[in-house]
Amino acid sequence: MRKVERKKADAYFKYRTMMITIYLAIGFLVSYVVVFFAQELSSFTVMGIPFSYYMGAQGAVLTFIILLFINAIVSDKIDKKFGFNPEYVDTNDD
Amino acid sequence: MTLDTQFLVSLALIGATFALYIGIAIFNTAKQTSDFYVASRGVPPVFNGMAIGADWMSAASFIGLAGTVMVLGYDGLAYIMGWTGGYLLLTFLLAPQLRKYGRYTVPEFIGDRYRSNTARLIAAVATIIISFTYSVGQLSGSGVVIGRLLEVDTAIGTLIGVVLIAFYSAMGGMKGITWTQVAQYLVLIIAYLIPVIFMSLQLTQNPAPWISYGEIIGEMRELDRELGISEYVVPFTEATKWQFLALMFTLMAGTAGLPHVIVRFYTVATMKAARWSGAWALLFIGLLYLSAPVYAAFSRFILMTQVANTQLDNLPAWTEPWINTGQLSVADTNGDGMLQWQELTISNDIVVMATPEIANLGVFVIGLMAAGAMAAALSTAGGLMIAISAALSHDIYYRSINPKASESKRLYVGRLSIVLATVAAGLLALNPPGAITQIVAWAFALASGSFFPALLLGVWWKRANGPGVIAGMVTGLTVTLSYIFAAKYLGFTILGIIDTGAGVFGAASAIIANIVVSLNTAPPSQETLDEVTDLRYPEQIKYKDGEVWLKE
Repeated sequence: MRKVERKKADAYFKYRTMMITIYLAIGFLVSYVVVFFAQELSSFTVMGIPFSYYMGAQGAVLTFIILLFINAIVSDKIDKKFGFNPEYVDTNDD
Repeated sequence: MTLDTQFLVSLALIGATFALYIGIAIFNTAKQTSDFYVASRGVPPVFNGMAIGADWMSAASFIGLAGTVMVLGYDGLAYIMGWTGGYLLLTFLLAPQLRKYGRYTVPEFIGDRYRSNTARLIAAVATIIISFTYSVGQLSGSGVVIGRLLEVDTAIGTLIGVVLIAFYSAMGGMKGITWTQVAQYLVLIIAYLIPVIFMSLQLTQNPAPWISYGEIIGEMRELDRELGISEYVVPFTEATKWQFLALMFTLMAGTAGLPHVIVRFYTVATMKAARWSGAWALLFIGLLYLSAPVYAAFSRFILMTQVANTQLDNLPAWTEPWINTGQLSVADTNGDGMLQWQELTISNDIVVMATPEIANLGVFVIGLMAAGAMAAALSTAGGLMIAISAALSHDIYYRSINPKASESKRLYVGRLSIVLATVAAGLLALNPPGAITQIVAWAFALASGSFFPALLLGVWWKRANGPGVIAGMVTGLTVTLSYIFAAKYLGFTILGIIDTGAGVFGAASAIIANIVVSLNTAPPSQETLDEVTDLRYPEQIKYKDGEVWLKE
């Protein structure tokens, strides 16, 4: 075991938490906020479907999927940037 | 096409898939408890994603979701966004951390993190109640599918499902279930997509239904306007905006708190694998959830254009069996010999199951549809049985009753509890009491009022302690159940939020209760505080006594 500076570990946690907050905010925007303004957002269409309906049926789900993949890719990059191996498996763990 | 050919083709397809599931279980027999509970943590993320998809998508998702969207219009979309959005909460806020904590079950995490046997037992009992009622729904669903397609009694259909699940989940445990769920995912998604793709080709000459159905929606809006009924795409025709938002939250938080889904994230070895599992899972789930609104639109369009406005004695041939079973009801209320749109009453279940006949796709696709619906029911029931068995044999038997039990004794108790739970759920499913259907509908409200707040604060707030989580779970369950009761039977509602949206109040009160009680009781031990801080960092980092160590 090698000691890591506390500051570095805290910076890692702060960075990860910030990214997750951004992802959740985007997820909130495309679902809850769009639903909240559903009547107002029905006036224009995407592929022939009113925007609020399109977001509920396809847009929000597609955004969720993309966010999860971005998170998976970016998290691996952050781990490596801080010098951590994301594939490390603790052999003491059952 | 004769009935006999259809019977033989359906039977052959269902038989072939059953043989596959049993073969996989025999090949993956669990030899030790870590195989049995967490598949030795060796599942690759892509396959774990498929297994999560099958675990998650139930008979109700497969058969009923599209119908719900069709009947409710815009308001049905709360289910689409709620049930997919849960994976954001789960993957961003809970799954990687729970993976690093490294236990076998959700109640075990709650008990160890909060250093409270009482909390573990409350969570174990909640897991058993929620999973058990949910599995009764799956088993009775599989009975209906087998019964209808093989033309046997529903009870025989249910029993076939019970024997099959008891056999393969007891043998393989989580390890066997994982690989059967992968196979079941493939069967169910192929069965779900083929009919909608063919229907898209027939209606719009475009093989990508998700892109082409906009024009069908456009034509339906015209039809709705001509009929003078409220348009299909108009929001909040069935309930208030607040009910929509509350239901969506309840489904999201409930999904993120359901033990049988969370435990699938224990089957991988790293936080990285947990994040990728979540991403793959939602992609695979999305294939079905993105298609459900398309099914809904196509079916409604066909019913409006090919069934409505025809002579009553000249309806399309495919409608007959559905009218006979009462799932499509036609009443010529104004007695003009014609069937108007308003005279049609449609059951949710028709939309997906009748599509192969509507689109004239032949015996093979009808049989495949049956195999797909069975795969959806069996895979969810299998996952639930593992969750129940783990709560009984690990959280209650091993952790509370007999901590000295040998490895082989624990495996035996695990297998025995699966068989007993499956048989009990099957017997109840033969003649499900009305209460079961209700509890299934409330499972998400109960999970978001109990598990979700306990896990969220357990991971993200190290000051939360044992008395806090007990107060939180008890308050959350009490508020959820009281609101459900008040809304359902006393007509009391806040902002038009009905019983299905009760989780929003349950979760809020559980979080408040946990925080208030935690702050007014002794803080957790330094060891616990360190454990929770440790969850902030990747698998390779160990946090102890204010120092950070890199494992090499």
